[in-house]
Amino acid sequence: VGNEEMRKIPVPANRYTPLKENWMKIFTPIVEHLQLQIRFNLKTRNVEIKTCQETKDISALTKAADFVKAFILGFQVEDALALIRLDDLFLESFEVTDVKPLKGDHLSRAIGRIAGKGGKTKFTIENVTRTRIVLADAKIHILGSFQNIKMARTAICNLILGNPPSKVYGNIRAVASRAAERF
Amino acid sequence: KMAAVEGLERCLRVAGAAAARPERFLSVQDGLAADFKALTKTLYDLSKARGSNVVRGSPLKELVIESFDEEQIWQQLELQNNAVLDFFKKSIARDANDEDLCLLSDPEEDSSNAEASSDKELEEDIMEIETEQKNVYTKDKTKAKEKQSKPRESKMQKYSDEDSDVDFDIEELEQQTEIAKKTTSKKLQKKSIVDDKFFKLAEMEAFLEDVEKEDRGEEEEGINYFEDLLSDDEEEESEDSKVKPIKSSRDLTYKDFFDPVDDNDELVANTVEDGQEEETDSVTEEENEESTSEADEINEIMTENMRSKEASKKVTFSLPDDSEIEDSIDMQSEKSIDPIEIKSSFEKRQEKMNAKIRSLEEELLEEKPWQLKGEVSGQKRPENSLLEETLLFDHAVRMAPVITEETTLQLEDIIKQRILDQAWDDVVPKEKPKEEAFEYKKRITLDHEKSKLSLAEIYEQEYLKLHQQKTEEEENPEHKEIQEMMDSLFLKLDALCNFHFTPKPPVPEVKIVSNLPAVSMEEVAPVAVSDAALLAPEEIKEKNKAGDVKADAEKTPTDKKRERRKKKLRKRMKLREKERRQKLLEKVKPEQGTKLSKKAAAAKLKKLTKEGKASLLKDEGKDKVLKSSQAFFSQLQDQVKMQIKDANKLKKKQKKQREVSVHKLKL
Repeated sequence: VGNEEMRKIPVPANRYTPLKENWMKIFTPIVEHLQLQIRFNLKTRNVEIKTCQETKDISALTKAADFVKAFILGFQVEDALALIRLDDLFLESFEVTDVKPLKGDHLSRAIGRIAGKGGKTKFTIENVTRTRIVLADAKIHILGSFQNIKMARTAICNLILGNPPSKVYGNIRAVASRAAERF
Repeated sequence: KMAAVEGLERCLRVAGAAAARPERFLSVQDGLAADFKALTKTLYDLSKARGSNVVRGSPLKELVIESFDEEQIWQQLELQNNAVLDFFKKSIARDANDEDLCLLSDPEEDSSNAEASSDKELEEDIMEIETEQKNVYTKDKTKAKEKQSKPRESKMQKYSDEDSDVDFDIEELEQQTEIAKKTTSKKLQKKSIVDDKFFKLAEMEAFLEDVEKEDRGEEEEGINYFEDLLSDDEEEESEDSKVKPIKSSRDLTYKDFFDPVDDNDELVANTVEDGQEEETDSVTEEENEESTSEADEINEIMTENMRSKEASKKVTFSLPDDSEIEDSIDMQSEKSIDPIEIKSSFEKRQEKMNAKIRSLEEELLEEKPWQLKGEVSGQKRPENSLLEETLLFDHAVRMAPVITEETTLQLEDIIKQRILDQAWDDVVPKEKPKEEAFEYKKRITLDHEKSKLSLAEIYEQEYLKLHQQKTEEEENPEHKEIQEMMDSLFLKLDALCNFHFTPKPPVPEVKIVSNLPAVSMEEVAPVAVSDAALLAPEEIKEKNKAGDVKADAEKTPTDKKRERRKKKLRKRMKLREKERRQKLLEKVKPEQGTKLSKKAAAAKLKKLTKEGKASLLKDEGKDKVLKSSQAFFSQLQDQVKMQIKDANKLKKKQKKQREVSVHKLKL
């Protein structure tokens, strides 16, 4: 407990309301389980987390920061909570244009392919690979364990590159079954 | 007396007959043995009957042979013999030395005497030495008896052995030695340290002993405990000389056993003629050897023999070169050829070496054998010569293992061990795993909906499942095993108790496959369209034998023909079908049938043409109209048009005429 450390997480405008709605769910585990101090700075529109005397674990701060960040990116509180509970979960972000330079309609179509009708494709990938995916226009965020992130990323990249969803299903199913067999 | 002569003659005959066929004695001859026993008895009785005043002999008047075995007969003879032995020895010696007595010139006769005299046990019963005849008889008898009886005296054996081994005349040598002895009997002396020009210790001792003996002359019968006992041979031989210096075994030297190394014959000649002292000394030494052992006596005689001119046995060192030489016998033969040119062993070795060198040199100069000449083809070497050679060559192929007894034994050991271990190499029947396509799809259900559980909960569940599974796995196999065992047991028990037990029929597995899209079967909630169908494409449409669908350009003539055939077949079938149906229809409903049939149409056409309503156009080939429908209809069109035109024209003309009249009227 040397210096007090602090983390700041900026909140974009579109996430302001969801933050307000889920504030209770957010700060309860941070304060109670991680023994940190949290506040939302209205002026700077930042969520600030600080260590205090009661903080036992120094890594708790990082975890809390990641948790809040995940929520701000668009994940559900319960899903983001897994970051606090499990050590080996990661958060990966990339853009659609990173995979393939698409413009205009192609980009839209790619995003549409990723999402699928009613989000079906995205949900399928989530379920099979045990990850959570946030599709924010051209940005993609994946939350999960390392292997699963890889699987999901492969599937999404395939979709971006133009594979039909059925094929992608088949692939991820095969990979997932193999991974499951190993354990 | 006549009876005695007759008896003797008979004995002689028997003995002669036996001697004539000596080979019979190789086997036991019971008949002859009995004859000889009788013969012995006769001779014994005769001798006893004749009697002798000089010597008493044994108290037995006659030899008893009935139901007496050999041992007992021998003992009887021994009694007699021992009694008269001494007397006979002395008398023989006396007679042998007696010059008046004419000894037989035949050396064998002499030898027989010598032999007989040197025997300890006389095997003859009668020794009437005066009679020459008797000598002959005895000689024969001894010879016969020798051959017949087991030589009790090993000396005899050795004599005979020596005779066979060493190729010389022992008798002659003995004779010679006796002569030698006689000439030098006076000078049997031993050299000692204190000997001088004037004094010789041995002489003194000899003199003293003589004197003592003279004094003791009457006490011949008593045993002189202090006198050194000599063997009978020596006693007899040196009886006259009465000098017997003793030589101990420690003083034996090489000279006593072997010839001097150089030029033996010369030495012998010298010793015999000139250097008698040396020889006599050695002879005396030999003769006076106090040796009770028979070997020494034999050696003595042997050395005496070797001395003789004709003695040809020589002991040589076994040098390496000498081993190549033939046996001593051969040497003897060589020597007997050239007795003067005996070479030393060194010279002989040299000769051999030279011979060897010569042969080696010749070999080197000669042409080499084919084995040493580089590459040799078949023509340059003798036939099948390679078969005798052991060749070394590289094997390109791995050789098959040589089956020896050891390998078979090893194999058998392995087999036995396997049997004991019950470790068979049986082929395990492989079962093809039944992979059903549908099951694969069910492995991972694709949930297209947003999962109700949050990520944290998912991981939580997974974690729990992982940890629970371990405990479950441990239990389940045991349960399964138990279950299986119980099932099998109950099955058997049921079979035993129920006579009318029938096992459960195998339930046929029914799989209902409906050709519905997968989405309706798999998905929990009906969602939008999916392409997947349950049935495989092959099940929907059969693939043709050729495989993929081919474009016209790709088809081979066979494909085309195949297709044509199929098309024709199809058409044929269709036609047949149609006809069948038509027939059926005609039978059932005649009106409808006739309407559509070809026959009916033809009939109708005929009727029409006959009536004149329709006319049949004949196809001559000139008219283009009939060739194609287009032409026909265009012509028809033209015709109609023409008609219409005409009609219009008429109409127009009529109209014009009417217009002129109206004008006129107005005026």
